[in-house]
Amino acid sequence: MIRPALSALRGGPVLLDLRLGSFASFRINVRVLAICLLLLVVVIALAAWAATLGSFIVPLDEVVRATFSESTRQFEFVVVQLRLPRILSAILVGAALASSGAIFQGLVRNPLVSPDIIGIQAGATVVAVFMIVNGYTDRYIPLGAFGGAVTAATAIYLLAWKGGMSGNRLVLVGIGIDALLAAGTRYLIVKFPVQQAQAAIAWSTGTVYGTGWFDVQVIAVALGELLPLAIVLTWQLRVLQFGDDIAYVLGMRVEPTRLALILVGCALAAVAVAVAGPVGFIALMVPHVARIIGGPMTGGTLLLTALLGAVLLLGADIVALHVLPVALPVGVVTAGVGAPYFLFLLYRANVRM
Amino acid sequence: MTRLEAREVRLGYGDAVIIDGLTASIPDHRITSIIGANGCGKSTLLRGLARLLRPQGGAVLLDGQAIHHQPTKQIARKLGLLAQQANAPESITVEDLVRRGRYPHQSLLQPPTDADRDAIDRAIAFAGVDDLRDRAVDQLSGGQRQRAWLAMVLAQETDLLLLDEPTTFLDIAHQHEVLDLVRRLNRDEGKTVVMVLHDINEAARWSDHVIAMRDGAVVAEGTPAEMITPARILDVFNVATDVVTAPGTGLPICVPRGTPVELRAERPPTPVRLRADRLSLHYGARAVIDDLSVEVPAGAITAIVGPNACGKSTLLRGMSRLLPPAGGAALLDERPVHETPRRRMAQRMALLPQAPESPPGIRVDEMVASGRFPHQRWYRQWSAGDAAAVSRALDATDMQPLATHEVDALSGGQRQRAWVALTLAQDTPLLLLDEPTTFLDIAHQVELLDLVRALNRREGRTVVMVLHDLGQACRYADHVIVMDGGRVVAAGSPAATITEALVRDVFGVECDIVADPLTGGPLVIPHGLIAQDAAEGSAPPAEPARVSST
Amino acid sequence: MSGVATLPATGARWRLALGTGLLCALGLLVVVALLSLRIGSVGIATRDAIDALFNYDPNSYNQTVVRSLRLPRTIIGLGVGSALAVAGAMMQATTRNPLADPSILGVNSGAAFAIVNAIFFFGLTHPYQYVWFAFLGAGIASALVYSIASAGRGGATPVKLALAGAVVTALLGSWITALLLLDEQTLDTVRFWLAGSIAGRPIEVFWMVLPFMATGLVGGLLLARQLNVMNLGEDTARALGMHTGRLRLVSALLVVLMTGAAVSAAGPIGFVGLAVPHIVRVFTGPDYRWILAYCIVVGPLLLLSADIAGRVITRPAELQVGIVTAMCGAPFLIAIARQRRVASL
Repeated sequence: MIRPALSALRGGPVLLDLRLGSFASFRINVRVLAICLLLLVVVIALAAWAATLGSFIVPLDEVVRATFSESTRQFEFVVVQLRLPRILSAILVGAALASSGAIFQGLVRNPLVSPDIIGIQAGATVVAVFMIVNGYTDRYIPLGAFGGAVTAATAIYLLAWKGGMSGNRLVLVGIGIDALLAAGTRYLIVKFPVQQAQAAIAWSTGTVYGTGWFDVQVIAVALGELLPLAIVLTWQLRVLQFGDDIAYVLGMRVEPTRLALILVGCALAAVAVAVAGPVGFIALMVPHVARIIGGPMTGGTLLLTALLGAVLLLGADIVALHVLPVALPVGVVTAGVGAPYFLFLLYRANVRM
Repeated sequence: MTRLEAREVRLGYGDAVIIDGLTASIPDHRITSIIGANGCGKSTLLRGLARLLRPQGGAVLLDGQAIHHQPTKQIARKLGLLAQQANAPESITVEDLVRRGRYPHQSLLQPPTDADRDAIDRAIAFAGVDDLRDRAVDQLSGGQRQRAWLAMVLAQETDLLLLDEPTTFLDIAHQHEVLDLVRRLNRDEGKTVVMVLHDINEAARWSDHVIAMRDGAVVAEGTPAEMITPARILDVFNVATDVVTAPGTGLPICVPRGTPVELRAERPPTPVRLRADRLSLHYGARAVIDDLSVEVPAGAITAIVGPNACGKSTLLRGMSRLLPPAGGAALLDERPVHETPRRRMAQRMALLPQAPESPPGIRVDEMVASGRFPHQRWYRQWSAGDAAAVSRALDATDMQPLATHEVDALSGGQRQRAWVALTLAQDTPLLLLDEPTTFLDIAHQVELLDLVRALNRREGRTVVMVLHDLGQACRYADHVIVMDGGRVVAAGSPAATITEALVRDVFGVECDIVADPLTGGPLVIPHGLIAQDAAEGSAPPAEPARVSST
Repeated sequence: MSGVATLPATGARWRLALGTGLLCALGLLVVVALLSLRIGSVGIATRDAIDALFNYDPNSYNQTVVRSLRLPRTIIGLGVGSALAVAGAMMQATTRNPLADPSILGVNSGAAFAIVNAIFFFGLTHPYQYVWFAFLGAGIASALVYSIASAGRGGATPVKLALAGAVVTALLGSWITALLLLDEQTLDTVRFWLAGSIAGRPIEVFWMVLPFMATGLVGGLLLARQLNVMNLGEDTARALGMHTGRLRLVSALLVVLMTGAAVSAAGPIGFVGLAVPHIVRVFTGPDYRWILAYCIVVGPLLLLSADIAGRVITRPAELQVGIVTAMCGAPFLIAIARQRRVASL
C-alpha cells in the first residue's frame, strides 16, 4: 500500500512523496530527512560519550551494558542514576526550547521573538527566584517555575487580546511583561543576602545539574505529546504565514489555530524552564540556523530544529561540565558554543524567516 | 544638449545587472514617459537618474557632470523625485510634509527663511492642497495624498521632476487629478518631468516624449503618435493591439487584442450561486455598504467597477466572509457564507485579495501548493490530486519555468501570476479576484484576463473580479456591476450598462464610447481635461518665458 | 490614536500649544526635582532644600544631606533621563522601528561586561571608579555589534543589527554570569550597580560623563531636521540629498555617547529609552524637533519620579530606580500596544 516516489524540480529540493493508499500521504524533503538522521546519530554518539566522561571514567561498553542490561553495581549507579538523567534532560530541554522558539518566530514573523524575550521565562524565573531566596526546597521549585511560566503566558495572551490577536501586539505586551517580571527578579536579587542571591542567579542561568529520572519522565511525556502536535500545527503555520486574509480564504480557522500554536509554544517553554531554568540563546538562535539549513519552516524543519537544540544543549553541557576548569551551569556556555556558528551564518547567508 | 542624460550606464542590484550600456537623454521642458513591460528596468533607470542607485559603469550626467560626483544637496536642488508608494509617517500634516521638502535648501543651523516659507506656500497652492494643509496625510483620499507628496517635491524647487508610478492605486478621476497637475507644472512652470507609467494610453495622453524599454535597453523613443502603433507595441510589450483614434482629441488609443476568437463554452457552468441579500458591511463604526442586494450570474464573468472607495473591494470581502456582515447576508448556494464551515467554503470559493504578502524566502511551487490547503489534512499532505492541481495551475499561469524560484526575487507581474496560480490550485468553481491586474503590464494584463476567460469558458468557473479599468471590464465581463458610494448604481451587460452619462456621473470623467474594433462592444475613451486643452490650442511651450530669461 | 490624528494642528496655534506644553512640563520637572531634594529617609523642608542650593550653611545637617547626597543624585537623574530618552527617540527614528531601544546596540551589556571584569580582576569597589570602564565597554561592544552587522551581504540592515546585538548581548551575558557565579564578592559589589541606580554617586561622576551627554544631546537636537526627513523613507530622504548611511552612523555614535554616559553613571536603566519617545509622540505628533525637545524634559521627569517612588515605597529601604522605571514603564508599553496600531516590526 505504501507508494514512495521521488521527485525533484530543477533547482529545487529532492522530495520524497509517501502515499499510504488514498487515506494518507506525506511529502518529505530528502535533504532535511538526511540531516535529521545525521543529527540523531550525533545526539546518540554525544550522549554515549557524555556518559563515559566524569571524574570516574566508565568505558563505553560498560555504559551500553549498564543502560540496556546489567553491569556492576558501581557502574550502574554512576551511569543510570547520575549521568543518564542529566544527559537526557539536556537533550529533551534543548529540543523543547528550540521548537518553542521556532513556533513563536513563525507565528509573529519576527526573527527576534523567542520565549525568553516575551516574558514566559521571566515568569518562571521570578517565581523560582522568590522560592530560592526564601529557602524553599528544590523539589517544589520546578512546580513553581512551571506555574510562573503558565501565569505569565496567560497574562500576555489576555492583555494582547483585543477583539482578535495580532503578532506584533503579542510581542509588545510580552516585552512589557518581561520587563516587569525581570525587574521583580532584580529586586529580589538586590534585597536578599548575597548567598541566596547567588543561588538564585545560578538557577536563573539555566542548569541541568541535579536533574533526576522524575524530571526526565515529566519532560519526556510532555515533549512526546507536544512535539508531534507542534509538527502537525506547522502544517497550519505554513499557511498562517501568508497573513490572516489568505489563511481565512483557504479555509483555516485562524483564531483557534493561533491559540493552539501559542499554547503549544508556551507549554514547551514552560516545561523546559521548569526542569532546567531559563537557558538562553537556544530558543532564539537555533530556529534561524535550522531555517538556513532546512528552508522555510515545515514539519521536517521543525524536527530538525528540535534535534539541533538537543545537540547544542547537550554539547554545551559537556563543555560546561568537562572542558572548563570549573563546572558551570550550562546556560553560561550555550551562547559561547552557539554564537560563533551563528555569527558565521549571519555573515554568509541572508537572514530570512 | 539636454540637462539630464544617461551615458552608457550600467545599473543593477548587487550581482544582478538589469541595465547595461544604456544611453538616453531627457528633453528639457517636456514631459517624458518611460514605458515597458514588467521587469524591463524602467523603475531601475528612474532610480539611476535620481541617484538612488550608483551606476556600476557609465554615468548619469546632469548639466554635463556625473551626478554621483557632486554634493548630494546640490543635486537635490536641481532634481526632485516622487518615490513609488511613498509612505508618510503616521498623522503627519500636509504642511509638515511639504516643509520637509525644503531640506536641500537648508543648512544645519539655519532657521527657516522667507524663501522657505514662500516656496512652501507656493508648492501648496500650486498642488491645490491649500485647504488641506492642516489635515493628516494618512486621512486624505488617494488623489489628495499624491498631490500632497507632489507638493513636497515642488517645495524642493527643482527644474527636473522624476515621478515613479505616480498614479498606481488611483481611479480614473484621481489619475486625471494628479496627471493634470503634472501637466500644469510643465506648461506653466516649464519643469522637465520624467514619469514611469505602466499604462501606455495614459503615457501617450499626458506626455510629449515616450521612451520605450525592453530587457534593460531603450528600444524606441519618439512622440506619442510615433510610439502608439501596433508594430511598436508588439515590439515593446509583445502583445497584439489595435489602435483607434479618440474622437474628441484625435490621439491614438491602443486596444490590446488578446485572444482573438470568442471562446465557446465547452463545459456547462458548474452550478454555483452567489448573491448578497440586504447586506450591510461596516469597518468598525463606519458603514461602507448598507442594505445592498445583488446577484452574481452563475457561469459568467462578472466585473465590479466603480471609483476609489466606492465599496467594491469591501463587497468582495463581505461575499467571501473575510468581513462579517453587520446586517443581511451573503449567500452561497442559498446558505449564508458566514455560517458555512470554512473548509467547505474554501473548496467552493477562492479569493485573491489585493496586494497579498508572501512569507520571505518561499519558493513559487511551495506557495502554489499552499492553495491545496482546503483539500488536505495534516495526514494527507500530498495526494496525486494535489500534485495534478498544482501542476495545472502552474501551467495555466505559465509559471512552470519559475517554479523553483523564490517569490521575493520575481518581478511584480510574475509575483501576481504566482498568486493567481495559488488561487487556481484551490480548484474552486467560484473565483473572486480583487484587482488582479494591478502591477501588471499590458501584455500580462491581457494574458491574465485571457486566462480568466479561458477558465470560465473551458472549465465553467464562475468569476467575479473587481477591476478599476473600465475598458477591461467592458471587454472581458459578461456582466458588470457598477458601484458608487456603497450602492449598486447599475448592473447588466456591458453594452447596455456602460454609457457616457453613467461614466460622467459615477467616475466624474468625460468620455467617448466607441465600438470596440475587436468585439463590437463598448470601448471607453476617457478624455478628462485634454479636450479643453486641445480646444485652447496650447501646445507645449518650446522655451517658457520664465526659463528662457535666465 | 484617532483623537491625536484629528486634533486640528493649525500652524501657529499648534506651535504655541506645543511650546506651552513644553514649558508646563519644564515647570513640573522643577517641582519634581525639588521633591527629589526633599524626600528620602530623612524628610527635608523646602526651605532647607532651596537654602542648600543658593545659601548653603555647612553646619545644617539637613542642608549637608541635600548638598552631598540628594543634589548629586538629582542632577545625575536629570542627565541620565534626558540622555536615555533622546537616545531612544533617535534609535527609533533611524531604524524606523517602534521597538528599537539603545540596548540593541549592546551598550548596556558592554558596560556591564567591562565593569564586572574590572571588579573581578582589579577589585574596584566604587561607582566613581566604574565610569571609564563602563564607557570603554559600551563603546567596544557597540562597535563590535555594528561591524558584525555590516559585514557580509547587504550591510547593516535593521534585522541584522538586531540579531548581532542579541548575539553579542548573549555572549557577554554568559561571561558575566560565569564570573558572578565564581566569585561571590564580585556579585555582592556589582549587583546593586546591575539593578540600575542613581543613588550614592558623587557629583564627580556627573562631571565626568557630562561632556559626552552634552555632545549627544546637542548633536541629537541638531540632527532633528535630518531625522524628520529620514522618516519619509529611505528613497525620499536620499532624493532630498541626504546621506542616509552617514546619518545612521552619526546617530549611532551619538546614541552610544549618550547611553554609554548614562550607563556609566547609573548602571543599566531600562525602559526610559523605549517608553518616553512613545509617550511624547502622543502629544507632539511626528516632528522630531518637538519630540527630542520633549524627550529632554519628559525623560528626567519620569526617571526622577520613579526614583522618588523608589524611596517612598519601601521606606526606609530604597528600591533601585532601574527596577521602578521598568515597573512603571511596562504598563505604559502594554497600554500603547493595546491602543495603537503598531507599525510592522
